[in-house]
Amino acid sequence: MSLLIATVAGILIVVFTGLANTSVRRLAVVGCVGLLIAFFAMSFSEVTGALSRHTTHPTLMGFVPLYPPLLLILVASIAGLLATFAGGRAGGLTLIAASLATVVIALLWRSQPAAIVGQLSLNGLMEALTGLALGGLLTASGWGRSRLRWPLLAAGVAVAVGSFLLLNSSLGHRYLPNAEGYYRLFTPTSESTARSIMDTYNDSLEDLNRRRRSAGLSLLEPLESLDDLDKQRLPRTAAADTIDEHGKVISRGFRIVQPADGGYGTPLVFFFAGLMLGGGLMLAWRPQLRSASDLVSGGVIAATVSILTPAFAATDFSFQRLAEGWPFLLDFLDRSWPPNGNALKEVASEMLITIEIALIGTFLAAIFAIPLSFLAARNLTQNNSFMRAVFGLTRGFFNIDRGIDTLILALVFVAAVGLGPFAGVLAMAIHSIADLGKLYSESIENVDRGPIEALESVGASGTNVVRWAILPQVAPLFVAWTLYRFEINFRVSIVLGLVGAGGIGFFIQENMGTGSYNDMVVAIIAIVIVVNTIDFASSYLRARLV
Amino acid sequence: MIVVKNLGKTFADGTEALRGISVTIPDGDFVAVIGLSGAGKSTFLRCLNRLVDPTKGNIEVRGTDVASLRGRALQRYRRTVGFIFQQFNLVTRLSVVENVLSGRLGYHGTWRGLLGLFTERDYELARQNIRKVGLTEKERSRVDSLSGGQQQRVAIARAMTQEPQLILADEPMASLDPRLADVILGILKDYNEQQGVTVLVNIHVIELAKRYARRVLAFNLGRLVFDGPVEMLDQDLEKRIYAGSLEAL
Repeated sequence: MSLLIATVAGILIVVFTGLANTSVRRLAVVGCVGLLIAFFAMSFSEVTGALSRHTTHPTLMGFVPLYPPLLLILVASIAGLLATFAGGRAGGLTLIAASLATVVIALLWRSQPAAIVGQLSLNGLMEALTGLALGGLLTASGWGRSRLRWPLLAAGVAVAVGSFLLLNSSLGHRYLPNAEGYYRLFTPTSESTARSIMDTYNDSLEDLNRRRRSAGLSLLEPLESLDDLDKQRLPRTAAADTIDEHGKVISRGFRIVQPADGGYGTPLVFFFAGLMLGGGLMLAWRPQLRSASDLVSGGVIAATVSILTPAFAATDFSFQRLAEGWPFLLDFLDRSWPPNGNALKEVASEMLITIEIALIGTFLAAIFAIPLSFLAARNLTQNNSFMRAVFGLTRGFFNIDRGIDTLILALVFVAAVGLGPFAGVLAMAIHSIADLGKLYSESIENVDRGPIEALESVGASGTNVVRWAILPQVAPLFVAWTLYRFEINFRVSIVLGLVGAGGIGFFIQENMGTGSYNDMVVAIIAIVIVVNTIDFASSYLRARLV
Repeated sequence: MIVVKNLGKTFADGTEALRGISVTIPDGDFVAVIGLSGAGKSTFLRCLNRLVDPTKGNIEVRGTDVASLRGRALQRYRRTVGFIFQQFNLVTRLSVVENVLSGRLGYHGTWRGLLGLFTERDYELARQNIRKVGLTEKERSRVDSLSGGQQQRVAIARAMTQEPQLILADEPMASLDPRLADVILGILKDYNEQQGVTVLVNIHVIELAKRYARRVLAFNLGRLVFDGPVEMLDQDLEKRIYAGSLEAL
């Protein structure tokens, strides 16, 4: 059902795009490129072993040895892409054929029965791809700059080879055990092998059922034929890998393939096929629906979809669960209304603390960030190697500090100095130094050079050039950035309470825990009002300054 | 007296901005430096106060070897040389009087300058020079509220407040209304005549050079092609000065 919806959605998107006289070819490219990506990189059917960690969702490519017609899907995506660019009626018709072949073969594969299969590890493939990606990234980063091109190419090759060798070493296999033989092909097993595995399972069943009975679990039926394999687990001995005395994998254990149980890539393959089908129909009807940048924009869209879909799958995104939780949400709202006016006094004092945390945190950060920012400004620190080293150190400190969020720092400080606003202030000040320092130093780097030159030529000392030529230019910008950071810090300090660092967040957490929803909602209303007031006031002031 | 011997400047990218410049300028002279843009006029002036470091040759200003100056000594030399920029280079967020006072920074130590503790004499000089350029009623105004011509006059007052022995003006009228040229050059000329201070002005309008200067230095493609009294400038010479310069534009 969901596969039908995915296919029809793909077709409809293309048809409406075509009716709006926009490029249809772009969407056909999305379909073909997306299918190509899905073939190699998206999970399609479920494979189980004996333990839950044996369960994987391999790609279409992995099932090719089991069901060779799947290779036609790869052929279809490439043929579709070529046909799209050949253009004309013939191109459209080829696209239609390719998409129909994809749908038919994918459905045929899904109708296959479950089967016991062997695994063939493609050793080194994952390691090589990782090395290529890292080295390629490094090389690409220097390609635009002629001076860095060749050194970075050399570094890229070194990184590629190095990371390949490291991942392939025993060290790599110890720390990243999943990388070893990550890509696997699934191969058919002979009937007799499958039969002997089933016999082993049936033999061990008596022992297993005795333990299940004592644990009060339902008893398992013995396997009569291969058709019973659905939803069954293999015996441990059959699923386990064969390992030599050095811990090296000699051969992989057996698995059960369940073609009908899909992964996140399954609906996507049908969606892409739908795009190809719709694109083929529209192009066969009106071949002129295309524009020059179709390949690039189509590729970008296909890549975006291919990144988002696994992310949705990984975050367990589900409308169904949201719908199930809906009544609880309504109940929550129901219980928190009406707001309890008696809580206002406490909310006001906690809100004041929250504002004060932000105020002191920002103030302390500014005090330290102002002198540091001059050391982190490129244009003031390139005179000698000592200053360049200071510049590097300051920038390095900023970059590390920026990476450690206020909330994490707050957890550390709560442990160090105890619960309460002081921990929050320390955490906020330390994190904001880096952020403000970076903003300040960028302002310094953008000052007008003219006044600096003028004051150098009246014979003023370096410090006085900073004082009279740079400071007057950057002072209003510093104030504006500080206000901006205060806005952010106020919102951060609301959440700081949740980790015990004082303020309104702590109040919310307390009342949430004790079920005093009527009190809590007063705090939420207060937050909405104060956040908007501070943002409005701050942006008004900043507009006046700059 | 300024004595320049065999001065050369090659920039990091390989451009030869100046080649073998030798010239002697007596104290109290008013010199116009002419030539097309890219001829080396600006680089020449900037070498004289070391905003640009020469790569070859000697510069001697009243007995000081300028090319080798470093650190404090360079600052001490620079405070005696007023430099006027085409783009004024004022701190536009500060007031007129603050900008003019900053011309005194070379005479004070770091702490005094940092705290803005200017002496009574500094204020006296600043006010006097602001009066000279005719901006007394704008003294407290912020510079960004002034017109371009007024801003350049502030910059001239800043240079005068240095009590310089030499004034270098790099195309001081180029970003102003042409009618303001007479005002700016007039102020510089008066200052030259009253104080006996040497003035070098980069100009690309020959008419103005003829009207104000006593002496002309002409540059073409980094070379000094003419050095003599302004009366010697004639049509023939002008043609030679500007010949073959088009590719440098």
